[in-house]
Amino acid sequence: MAWLYRRHSADHPLALGASERVAEGREVHAGDVLAAGTTYGTPLKIAGARRLGVVPADLARVMRVRVGGEVERRTVVARTGRRFARAVSSPIAGRVIHQRADGDLHIAPIVGRWIVRSTLDGEVTRSDDACVTVEGSAWALQGVAAFGPDAIGEVSLAVDAPDDELQPSRIDVRMQGRILIGGARATAESITRAHACGVAAVVAGAAPASGLSVVYGEAATASGAVTGPDAPTVLCLIGFGVAPLPREVFMPLVALSGARAAVHTASARLFVFAPEDAGDFARNAPSLALANDWLGARPMDEHLSQSGVTRFPSEIEAEAFATSDGPVPVANVLAFDAPRTPRA
Amino acid sequence: MTTSTELVASVEIAHEARTERIPPGSSEGPVLRVVPGDVVRVAALLGRDPRLAPPMALGALAGGASLVGLVGTHDGRTLVERAELLRDAHPDLVVVLAPDRGDASAMVELAEALRLGCEHQRPLPHIIVSADERVRDRIAASCPANPIELSPDVRTAAGREALVARLRAVRRRAQADVVLRDEALEAAARAMAAGAKADVVLLDVTGGATSVIHARPDGIVLGIHERLGVGAAADRVVARAGLGRVRRWIPRAVEAPALLERIFNRARWPDAIPASVLALSLEMALAREAIAHTLADAERAGVSLEAAWAAPLLVLTGRLAQLPRAAQSLLVAIDVFGATGPTLVSRSSGDTLVAAGALAARGRVATMPPAEPIAIVAEMWPRRSATVRVTDASGVVTERVGRGSFLLIPTTGAVEIVMPGTTVRPSAEHLELGVVIDARGRPLVLPPRDAERIPTLARWNAALDVLPAEAR
Repeated sequence: MAWLYRRHSADHPLALGASERVAEGREVHAGDVLAAGTTYGTPLKIAGARRLGVVPADLARVMRVRVGGEVERRTVVARTGRRFARAVSSPIAGRVIHQRADGDLHIAPIVGRWIVRSTLDGEVTRSDDACVTVEGSAWALQGVAAFGPDAIGEVSLAVDAPDDELQPSRIDVRMQGRILIGGARATAESITRAHACGVAAVVAGAAPASGLSVVYGEAATASGAVTGPDAPTVLCLIGFGVAPLPREVFMPLVALSGARAAVHTASARLFVFAPEDAGDFARNAPSLALANDWLGARPMDEHLSQSGVTRFPSEIEAEAFATSDGPVPVANVLAFDAPRTPRA
Repeated sequence: MTTSTELVASVEIAHEARTERIPPGSSEGPVLRVVPGDVVRVAALLGRDPRLAPPMALGALAGGASLVGLVGTHDGRTLVERAELLRDAHPDLVVVLAPDRGDASAMVELAEALRLGCEHQRPLPHIIVSADERVRDRIAASCPANPIELSPDVRTAAGREALVARLRAVRRRAQADVVLRDEALEAAARAMAAGAKADVVLLDVTGGATSVIHARPDGIVLGIHERLGVGAAADRVVARAGLGRVRRWIPRAVEAPALLERIFNRARWPDAIPASVLALSLEMALAREAIAHTLADAERAGVSLEAAWAAPLLVLTGRLAQLPRAAQSLLVAIDVFGATGPTLVSRSSGDTLVAAGALAARGRVATMPPAEPIAIVAEMWPRRSATVRVTDASGVVTERVGRGSFLLIPTTGAVEIVMPGTTVRPSAEHLELGVVIDARGRPLVLPPRDAERIPTLARWNAALDVLPAEAR
């Protein structure tokens, strides 16, 4: 089944320095801020418990600014005593980032800020400084790889047929904030133009691997790449090169055009927020065949017939399916929703 | 033939998406499973001695783990940089290696960075401490929530074995009926070396991993296992080697962008078959780079490969041994494995050797199935033209060999070779291909320009009749 409506879970890992987070149990919508934080410059270590004359375990009791709190220069971070007071003050403006086991403190200047937005409508089921997890119901499509930051927008068709290539000429600034559906291939030019026009994400059957490597650098592998907010978002549903979308995948995208959606990059999923009865989308998609020279993939006919053990040009002998384009090894045919990551 | 004295009816060997059962067919009774194992991410916190990194890398390579972060007391990073590095690395295990008492204070800085970066990671990484007692106590104080285990010094053989055992336990997920593929191969190599009373090197390339195992007849085995392969890990080979180094092995002009698409598709298509000659050439190219980088990593980790280069027996397994022609397996191996003496190259194309190794790894009596001998490879770099004499059932063949020569002398029946400059006379009862004289020199140099590179590769391929006619 390509399209699935059910309860999904999406993890949103947080960078170091989260300063605020939504609480567990809270309802959120896709696009809502789940967490915000700061990036740090070079931290300074200052004497804490030693200076105050308390044991490290008691330092929290006398702190005026908790770990994670922002401070100005000379802000009193901790203080003890009344008549003969001892105090620890911050030598710089920044945040108290860490309390060491020996009771000393680290304060770092703030050099940037970040936010993390939800990619699902639903309930926050985990919220700590490492990750915020949201669970909620949505229509979802599992891809093979996604690149760039998470993206939220409206579904917008940019091709007329599932085997069309996304042309740069079809993209303009009116598509700002949309999630473009790009047919069999999103070229490097169309991805670049889409990003320049403020498009939230491009979703297509395939994208050029070399173009992705140019855009995302060494971080780009066949499993995808999660990057900062300045890069474009691309979701490959089937593979790399050229891969026409099966009609069972494409037609629901036509029907869901205009619906709110999100791309969760880490898990390479497209979530579309439409009611369960929005359409009869949960149909079996045809199997996918990897090209014999591995340069792309295509959907197969619904009814496959085996042609027995076949000798291929590489001289490998293997069970094969008979197709109009010649035999295809059974091993190179996968269900649309087959796991693409080997078992451990 | 695999025999077992204990109650294991069959061995099930997992590949990327499918499993093979030895003996084939469904069977009742207990099954021993051979799996590649989970990916284990290891970070290392190192003391001031710069010589600590290689033993740590060797431990990770021997245990089949991914070393995702090395943080040192003298690496010049700030607390925040170290914490971010460790947080992004998301380690399953953290190894603390600080044998010097003077490292205690500096190691606390690293432990504090670990707590800052990974305090909320689920599950918390276990910390394996191989350090002075004072260091252990202070790390435990800085990371009170992390489970802490003690280990012998990783620089010693005992310490490395303990680390490897720990890493493998994590990769097995503590399942009792499971043997890791690399464990099985090491056991198989050990048994073969003992049986042949000679050093054996086993090269195994699968979709997700590459292993180079050197076994000595006295039972000492060193295995290097790297997450580089020709399938699911094919994109990691490109990330490590660069696309150009993979492309240079393809004996035809091929555009780099299209090549990368093929590699990425293969990486996301478990157990895909190379049906075209170009895809087959690509799989062979990926195998070469996977082996080359595994060997390079072993050398960087301080392993001397001199004894391995000199091993008289080279056995090929996995996808490397399943290439359609024996000459393909042979050429891939000798292109990157620079043997220094005559070597009998064999391949075990099925999973029977792995199955027998799995039984042996469990202490069960298993006879190693014989590998099929492909060729005797005589590598040489003669100063002037030299004569090699090959004797087989058909008679004697004499060849003049100069620098750059690369040729196959087909043989039938028992074979013996007389080479210049050595009294060793390599021999074999039967060879699938014959004797290969390799005087191309090491390291192998490929011309950078296509106009020179492709004819060179075509000549080498033609010498062994490696590829079907279409690709020439």
